[in-house]
Amino acid sequence: MSDNDKVVPESGKGDLTRRELLTRAGQVGAGALAAGALGGVTARAAKAAVDRTAARPPRGGTLNWALEQDPAHIAPFGGILTANHWGKELMYDSLLEWDPKLNIRVALAEKWEVVDPRTVVFTLKRGVRFHNGKELTAADCKYSFDLQANPPPPGSTAVLGQFPAIDRTEVIDKYRLRILLKAPDARLFGYLAWGRYSPMVPEGMYQQVNPGREGIGTGPFRLVTYQPNDRLEFVRWPRFWRQPQPYLNAVNFKILTDEQARIAALRAGAIDGATLSPDSARQFQGNANFKVLSNFTAAFRELQMTYKPGDRKPWHDKRVRQAVNHAINRQEIINRVYSGNGEFSGHVPPGYGPWPLPVKELREKWLKYDLAKARQLMRQAGYANGFEVTMSTFSTPLDFQQVAAVIKSQLARIGIEVKIEAQEPGTFAANNGRGNFEWDLTARGMRGDVDGYLAEFNPSASIYRVWYPEWRPPVKLWRLIGNGRITLDLEKRLPMYKEAQRILLDELIQVPICVVKKFQVVRRRVNNMYVAFSDFNTGIRYVYIK
Amino acid sequence: MYAYILRRVLYTIPTLIVISILIFLMVRLLPGDVLDVLIGGDITTTEEQRQAAREQLGLVGSYPEQYWRWATGALRGDLGMSLRNAEPVRDILEAALPITLELIFLALLIATAVGIPFGVISAVRRDSAHDYASRVTGLVGVSIPNFWLATLLLLFTSRVFGWVPPLTYVSPLDDPIQNLAQFILPAIALSVFPLAIIMRMVRATMLEVLSQDYVRTARAKGVSWNKVVSRHALRNALIPVVTIIGFEVGVLLGGAAIIEVIFGLPGVGNVLLQAIFSRDYPLIQAATMLIAVTFIVANLLVDILYGVLDPRISQT
Repeated sequence: MSDNDKVVPESGKGDLTRRELLTRAGQVGAGALAAGALGGVTARAAKAAVDRTAARPPRGGTLNWALEQDPAHIAPFGGILTANHWGKELMYDSLLEWDPKLNIRVALAEKWEVVDPRTVVFTLKRGVRFHNGKELTAADCKYSFDLQANPPPPGSTAVLGQFPAIDRTEVIDKYRLRILLKAPDARLFGYLAWGRYSPMVPEGMYQQVNPGREGIGTGPFRLVTYQPNDRLEFVRWPRFWRQPQPYLNAVNFKILTDEQARIAALRAGAIDGATLSPDSARQFQGNANFKVLSNFTAAFRELQMTYKPGDRKPWHDKRVRQAVNHAINRQEIINRVYSGNGEFSGHVPPGYGPWPLPVKELREKWLKYDLAKARQLMRQAGYANGFEVTMSTFSTPLDFQQVAAVIKSQLARIGIEVKIEAQEPGTFAANNGRGNFEWDLTARGMRGDVDGYLAEFNPSASIYRVWYPEWRPPVKLWRLIGNGRITLDLEKRLPMYKEAQRILLDELIQVPICVVKKFQVVRRRVNNMYVAFSDFNTGIRYVYIK
Repeated sequence: MYAYILRRVLYTIPTLIVISILIFLMVRLLPGDVLDVLIGGDITTTEEQRQAAREQLGLVGSYPEQYWRWATGALRGDLGMSLRNAEPVRDILEAALPITLELIFLALLIATAVGIPFGVISAVRRDSAHDYASRVTGLVGVSIPNFWLATLLLLFTSRVFGWVPPLTYVSPLDDPIQNLAQFILPAIALSVFPLAIIMRMVRATMLEVLSQDYVRTARAKGVSWNKVVSRHALRNALIPVVTIIGFEVGVLLGGAAIIEVIFGLPGVGNVLLQAIFSRDYPLIQAATMLIAVTFIVANLLVDILYGVLDPRISQT
């Protein structure tokens, strides 16, 4: 199977690696103005882009892709489901974007300048055109930010937890926008690069079209039609700001929720690509007509424990949690359930830029399988004979139940009798969100910023009061997470989050298990596609047919 | 006859009221609402934001209040807005219903067009190879889950012929050939169970009717065997079959859901399944009521047809 690391889509101007971003932002955080700070990087990237054009991909063709879930709606703001974004990601852009390796780079913005910890000025690229022909201006961006702050239906205000602490935006002139923050908030850049909640739309769009079914963006493809539960059709936007992209003439999404239907459609040539389970993807391995792509995504599996007042559960003792951690043989889980297509994960999944701890450190220190140590810890905690606990998990996808079964057998070795309760996903989500569980085998998803993975361990977080009201985190952890969010100097921020993760791996109020690969199968003629870490289909933007 | 029809129509009113209450309550017995399901353990959402979102979606007020709002709205033709995409539920169902009805129509057409003649032949040539083959086929048809057959058909045609039904839904009015190509496999998959039932039912009733005195009398009078079968026996044998077909409309409405999902058809069943997974209350309620009403109407029509076929029934 081919992994994504061979695929490096042409990125165009303004590439900025996360490391470079850290450096630049570090200067900014120290008080230096970053006006024009990206100039050198832009020049280098532009040269690289010119070099690459020597082998420019051919233009033309239609990509037929199967989506495994209906987007429900494609409104630019307030979409809760990942599938909402699948339906809209080809037609919208934000000020910044991620490259395939999660390096932040400019998109609709030409550059930005952190004037002070609460003020950021974005300068827009000139000549960017919306799908209705109108030029992108700062007024459009202000309109977009205003709607992001209060998403109208069919969007939901429930997503506002992702919205950084933006107080207001001001139009400086046609191409410059000032963002004023309520407090310093380092999440701003990741929020914009993620793009999920931060597309730029033309002023007044919500009065011009039905935003749930139609849209006007600046993206590489213009929407032709969206028929819920059936299909979406896009055509190439010839005035896309990053020429010569896109290479395809059209993209059609067919909603095929049944995996066997996607397999049949792939075999019959009715679609060019789709997401499949690892077992199904394996059927295509070695078939000359197909390519099997894979990559880790942010959705790492973890064991979550509640910590409520008056419960007096065995796992309220840190030694028990550590024993559980050391009794779990993650490699066995990866091998038995995921056929080796997994990796150890901490509280920030590997692959999430520079933020996670090195896998080597996780494997050899924090998450090491050590049954003798686990038994010793159980004895020290006074639970040599173990205890009983109910572990809830999703009934589908099936891998959750399989992981639960392996964990059950592993924890039986230290006397813990795990009762598995598989719940319909909706029921599981409802119970999880309300803290109605003892242990949950669950998964995390993509976040715009590393803060999204650790904020729940801050006692000021809303969900903390639901899941762990009785747990008192080390003050240092509290400070690290709290200060991490408001530290714009990203070079200082990085070690803070690393240290916070190490504290969490000692506390283990949640026990991270592993991250697994997502598989997509494409026909041989499809080039440049990659499995995005974000769980979106971003690669389609760069695809060409040959 | 009119009094009979009126009486049957009046009976449906309390039935529908009870069904609507049951649907309303059962939907809410599912753990969690649409926001719980969608955001689940999203650590970034505060309780205040969740509450504001609930108010935005109209998920506030007591159950009786919510029921009254929904029921009175439904009587005015307003089925509410979908919680997933804020579109009128009525529009969603109006787009989905023709697809499901076409699928069911085609499935029943196949089931009756194949089931009745095979049932008759099986009865007429009792204990022949034909009869045994039909009985075994019927047994297999009843035993095979339609979702399994649908998947098998799809994988078979893709592997052997490199063909799957067209993926994009086309109305029969726009392109009947492509529409038929899209519906033929799902209709076959859906038709197998009712086909088997109809075939077995026709066989059994035909055997019973063929042993009646009036059939022997007709034969004794010199009426040809073919005429006896088609004009005397079959007409009487079809009365219970009509009941079965009416009942199968309701069964197929439910069974169509999984077939629609497998073949990517945007029908009512597909919409309903997605609505259930996301706790889209207005859509679940309306789609379920639609299925219930269709079931009741189909049975009502069967009862009326029964009265036409056998006038003794409407007189009692």
